Amino acid sequence: MGKVITLAGKDLRLLVRDKSSLFWVIMFPLLIALFFGTIFSGSGGQMSGMKVAVIDEDQSEFSQAYISQLDSLEALSITPMVYDSAFQKVRTGRLAALIVLKKGFGQTGGLFSDTPLVEVGIDPSRRTEAGYLQGLLAQASFMQLHGKYSSPSLIREQLDKLTLDSGAWKGLDSRQLARARSFLSSMADFFESLEELSIDSTADEPSKRPAMFAVKVTSVTNDVARPRSSFEVTFPSAVLWGLMGVAATFAVGIVKERNGGTYLRLRLAPVTRTQILAGKGLACFTASFFIGVMLLALGTVVFGVRIVNPGILAVSLVAACLCFVGLTMMVSAIGKSEEAVAGAGWGILLVMAMIGGGMLPLMFMPGWLKTLSHFSPVKWGILAIEGGIWRDFTYTEIWLPVVILLGIGTLCFSAGVTLLSRTDR
Amino acid sequence: MVTAEKLRKQFNGLVAVDEVSFHISPGEVFGLLGPNGAGKTTIINMLVGVLRPDEGEVTIDGSHDPAQTQVRNRIGNAPQSLALYDRLTAYENLAFFGHLYGLSGNRLKEQIARALDFVGLTDRQKGIVGTFSGGMQRRLNLACALIHDPPLLLLDEPTVGVDPQSRYMIFESIEKLKKRGITIVYTTHYMEEAQRLCDRVAIIDRGKILALDTVDTLIEDFGGRAIIEGEVAEISVNFTWPGSTFEGNRFTLETQKPMEELARLANAGLNFTRLKVEGANLESVFLNLTGRSLRD
Repeated sequence: MGKVITLAGKDLRLLVRDKSSLFWVIMFPLLIALFFGTIFSGSGGQMSGMKVAVIDEDQSEFSQAYISQLDSLEALSITPMVYDSAFQKVRTGRLAALIVLKKGFGQTGGLFSDTPLVEVGIDPSRRTEAGYLQGLLAQASFMQLHGKYSSPSLIREQLDKLTLDSGAWKGLDSRQLARARSFLSSMADFFESLEELSIDSTADEPSKRPAMFAVKVTSVTNDVARPRSSFEVTFPSAVLWGLMGVAATFAVGIVKERNGGTYLRLRLAPVTRTQILAGKGLACFTASFFIGVMLLALGTVVFGVRIVNPGILAVSLVAACLCFVGLTMMVSAIGKSEEAVAGAGWGILLVMAMIGGGMLPLMFMPGWLKTLSHFSPVKWGILAIEGGIWRDFTYTEIWLPVVILLGIGTLCFSAGVTLLSRTDR
Repeated sequence: MVTAEKLRKQFNGLVAVDEVSFHISPGEVFGLLGPNGAGKTTIINMLVGVLRPDEGEVTIDGSHDPAQTQVRNRIGNAPQSLALYDRLTAYENLAFFGHLYGLSGNRLKEQIARALDFVGLTDRQKGIVGTFSGGMQRRLNLACALIHDPPLLLLDEPTVGVDPQSRYMIFESIEKLKKRGITIVYTTHYMEEAQRLCDRVAIIDRGKILALDTVDTLIEDFGGRAIIEGEVAEISVNFTWPGSTFEGNRFTLETQKPMEELARLANAGLNFTRLKVEGANLESVFLNLTGRSLRD
């Protein structure tokens, strides 16, 4: 065992002294985690809203309230300004769009008007976002109207105004007019009764009133088993990228050793081939495990990644590391030169990452690619590590990914050692 | 100490070593001289058990299995490809190989210091090997082979790509090892090295031993005649000498025994103003045996 540790220690020391390899093993996975974590972050970094200018030509109480409503939407970043300045900024691409609230907007809220009372000017390069912006404007309108008509007293006031507005009843004969006014009077009585019910209650609090169309959205999972931030999704991927970096680095190191004289000297030394391979495996495993622990520790301490089940995580990480030790042996045997192994090795690992969800999350993949992902250790590695981080797997649930990882590792290790032994004869 | 008996090895149908036999006595410096691709490294690899011969047998210290741990502990090897880790220091390389041979503690430190001193790298022990010159790396390669004090040392082209200063240092080191009584197997394609260092030399070409003997005997048997070129102060126009050609006062003479021939010429009254004697050497031995130069 002492000689195996000596051999492993040498390989780890060589890894630490190789700055370019360290980049692929530590920095690159970390950058992946941070990059995608930030992009998809819901808590680690808010997505900035679409930057738009608002020109309020109406200057009414309603238009001001509408602008406040728009400003409250996370998807928009509102800046009130004059038209010329807004136009110039949109034209030069500094703002995505401008919204003009025309005179008269406050009277109808922009609804049921013969002429458009809201104009939108958009940067031509962002045409695809025009529909999105229209949706947001409609959302703000309905929120505004909802606020306006959700109070019984406000509705009753509007009904009284309408009852007295002779202009609104033009064209009706006296019988129709009497029926309409009777209907409006009944409606007013109804809302009055609602208002009385709400006295001495908390019904005036907006959150307690019944919503116009209430939908409750929930995740189909328990409270623990969902990622709390995008970093809880990207750090398991980063660990797998780290393992791939270690595998590629060690595979190249093995072929370099074989092509140089050091492997010959090792074989002439009083150590068996098994000890040499065990030393390589131990070094590769140690480096992989260390990288995994380091990335997860960083994710936990700095980016708030939770580890809901440390035992499951430890089992998963060990299985993933062993799997990639096997892959290292196989990759090191697929070429005779450093260039061949580096090229083919990264090629194989990148394909595994692509189909295994290491680049694009599996949920965005077509069905056939999801099926193909079952053959990638990256998929099982990510799943197993997520099992300990946020999926809250039980030991019954973790055995499948762990067994698959160990199976792939064993197969690859055997294939690699067989290929390497052939070239030794 | 080492016996190779009818070794044969082929790779993909190409015979690399064919019916090679020799015996090396303890304390002997045995040379394998031949051009690149002659089969020298293949023979070395079979001697140490890295390659299995298709036919034949190797015996080292009575053991027929050179891969045995106790046999390997008695062998030091400096392969032709530098067997060093270029991101480790000289000290770390020696310590690593020392550990593999079971050295530790003070014994390991003493052996490292001794090996570094032997090859003149004590002051560079903390230097990263990748920053060393080719000559320094070759010297460290030799030091790593000596870390466990082996009684049998295999040196495979130890001066390839080495500057003259390091080459001289390596020669001196080998001569010191020879004085210590270490048995050395030395492969080279430089005839000067074999001639200077080796007690006996096997001339190898295309996997076969063409001749094997001491350097002097090889030259005597296969080296051909020496060539003497010279000028004399004055000479009679009628002067003749067997085996020579004269043009004015210049002459060329081929002979098996140049010194005796020169003495006889001097006794005949010739007064030499310039002399150049080109004796037979291992290069001419190889040329006479194969019809090709060692560097072809």
